[in-house]
Amino acid sequence: MKKPAVGIVANPASGRDVRRLVAKASVFHTAEKCNMIQRVLAALGATGVEQVLMMPDLGGIAAGVYRALQSPADSTSQRWPEVTFLDMPIEDSAVDSIRAVDRMMELGVAVIIVLGGDGTNRVVAKKSGNKPLIALSTGTNNMFPEIREATIAGLAAGLVATGAVPLDAATIQNKVLRLTVNGIDQDLALIDVCITNDYWTGAKALWRPEDLSDLFVTFAKADAIGLSAIAGFVHPVDRQVGYGLKLELVPPGRGFITVRVPIAPGLIAPVGIADIREIYPNELWPLQTSRGAVALDGEREIEFGPRDQVVVSLDLDGPVTVDIGKVMELAVEHRLFSEGFAPVSL
Amino acid sequence: MTTQPSREDLLKAYRMMKTIREFEERVHIEFATGEIPGFVHLYAGEEASATGICMHLNDNDKIASTHRGHGHCIAKGVEVHGMMAEIYGKKTGTCGGKGGSMHIADLDMGMMGANGIVGGGPPLICGAGLAAKFKKNQGVAVAFVGDGGSNQGTTLESLNLATVWHLPCIFVIENNGYAEATSSKWSVSCKDIAERAQGFGMPGVMVDGHDFFAVYEAAGEAVRRARKGGGPTLIECKLNRYYGHFEGDAQTYRGPDEVKKLRETRDCLKNFARKVTAADLVKQSELEAIDKDVVALIDDALAKAKAAPKPGPKDLLTDVYVSY
Repeated sequence: MKKPAVGIVANPASGRDVRRLVAKASVFHTAEKCNMIQRVLAALGATGVEQVLMMPDLGGIAAGVYRALQSPADSTSQRWPEVTFLDMPIEDSAVDSIRAVDRMMELGVAVIIVLGGDGTNRVVAKKSGNKPLIALSTGTNNMFPEIREATIAGLAAGLVATGAVPLDAATIQNKVLRLTVNGIDQDLALIDVCITNDYWTGAKALWRPEDLSDLFVTFAKADAIGLSAIAGFVHPVDRQVGYGLKLELVPPGRGFITVRVPIAPGLIAPVGIADIREIYPNELWPLQTSRGAVALDGEREIEFGPRDQVVVSLDLDGPVTVDIGKVMELAVEHRLFSEGFAPVSL
Repeated sequence: MTTQPSREDLLKAYRMMKTIREFEERVHIEFATGEIPGFVHLYAGEEASATGICMHLNDNDKIASTHRGHGHCIAKGVEVHGMMAEIYGKKTGTCGGKGGSMHIADLDMGMMGANGIVGGGPPLICGAGLAAKFKKNQGVAVAFVGDGGSNQGTTLESLNLATVWHLPCIFVIENNGYAEATSSKWSVSCKDIAERAQGFGMPGVMVDGHDFFAVYEAAGEAVRRARKGGGPTLIECKLNRYYGHFEGDAQTYRGPDEVKKLRETRDCLKNFARKVTAADLVKQSELEAIDKDVVALIDDALAKAKAAPKPGPKDLLTDVYVSY
């Protein structure tokens, strides 16, 4: 494989859940994902990346990129890296992302660019170890990936992959919430774990505040969208501080405060809070609810009953992400986009 | 407002899904004897879709179906004795034995008909939706469409019309992966048919059509929205059929053990039973009692259908015209 190389995981399935019906969540089309990847390729090529490894899919993203590669007007007007579609079985599920990341790690890519939402990044984070991720949001209901112009994300990825900007100057270590069920590691969340009184995972998304009971967050911003906004509107927590939050949620009007928060795009609802506390690594938080569903990063994923013991804990050793803004600042400061300048030396 | 089904709803849903499954499994067996005239297209495997949608409908609401319509009929309340007799072409059938499997209609139950024309249902529900809107009766009209039907001009025109007229219509795309023998991966221009809805200015959502609870929840929101004058919705249910496009289809286009694996891992009835019993909401014995009832019901429907008379020469000139 040519070095430096960058991996691209683009989830063809993001953004079709029931929030399009109950809120006004955005719909992100496959065609736009293809366009984003082409903008990323142009930026990677401009920064000297030689090769891109891309996850194949049945949703038309890889096919669209392939068509663009065959079109001289698209791929040769600017220098694109060589693009290789990973030779792997396609199951049209999250397994594809896991398999693709495994393969990219084996082949030694320098950076993995992820196009998707919180859910896609959660899947990738299970396998990416300390490999830096550039998380690009394909929707409006996400907190982990950034809403960024793909060209800029591609430039940042290229600058890190080529070593023009050193990794340790431009990456951050994220927190995760880990979940065990009956003592067995079950899953993780990048932003929030929410317990709902719904018995079923059903349509996955959460939009009825009266059904929520407990909420754990890794970080919570005052400008958040989604469940973490409940914490962010009361007690913001930075992405990089060494603790998270646990909130006990109650119907509006009960508890010590009721906040009106955007729990989904276009859906601002009152939520009562009975308790809020900081949580730290190595603390175990067993759920007090006897029956319900656990939502990870906004989607119900796990059903549990009276015989199940569900425990949540905070871990500071989550996935590593590239701080796109920081990379670009360093690049400009050291005139990396000007002719004749050397890489950043710190 | 929660859309959690009550215990009674859970029992009703299981009975509905089990009735569809048992009906289809028996038709599958009986078709092989050669006694059933015409074609049949079985709905087994897709029960969670019809049930999850129709559980939210009332007598005021209308549905339009496809060539694979038995499940939709049962879920909308069409009586199974009449359906079985209709499939056998008997005088006691829902349509006097003149329609057969692909044309079962029961307007009294709001079932506007199974339909041999692919993509034939969506225009019908635009009419039904318009009527409900004029009558201000809060009625909702639902069209079930396959992934093949979703490519038809009739469907696409109806999506447009429903938005333009702001109709209380719900388009349920049952994407079972094959239009007859053609994979939807080859014949549909986007990954998810739900994606197309935005182009017509309506919300489009995708759910796991094997999961009753996923369908039920999304349908509840779509029906509520339609009744409140919120306009049309498209729901794509990703699911699988257990049998061929029609009975007799050799299914050479399907992978080895594809259906076996689906029955093992994605059976909506088994998954439903597992969930409701694990949650201590329904007892296994209650489900077994329903199983027994349903088997007896279908036994009886089959015996009566076989014994019923065929339409006679005099019936040739009845039901030819409809007076409005």
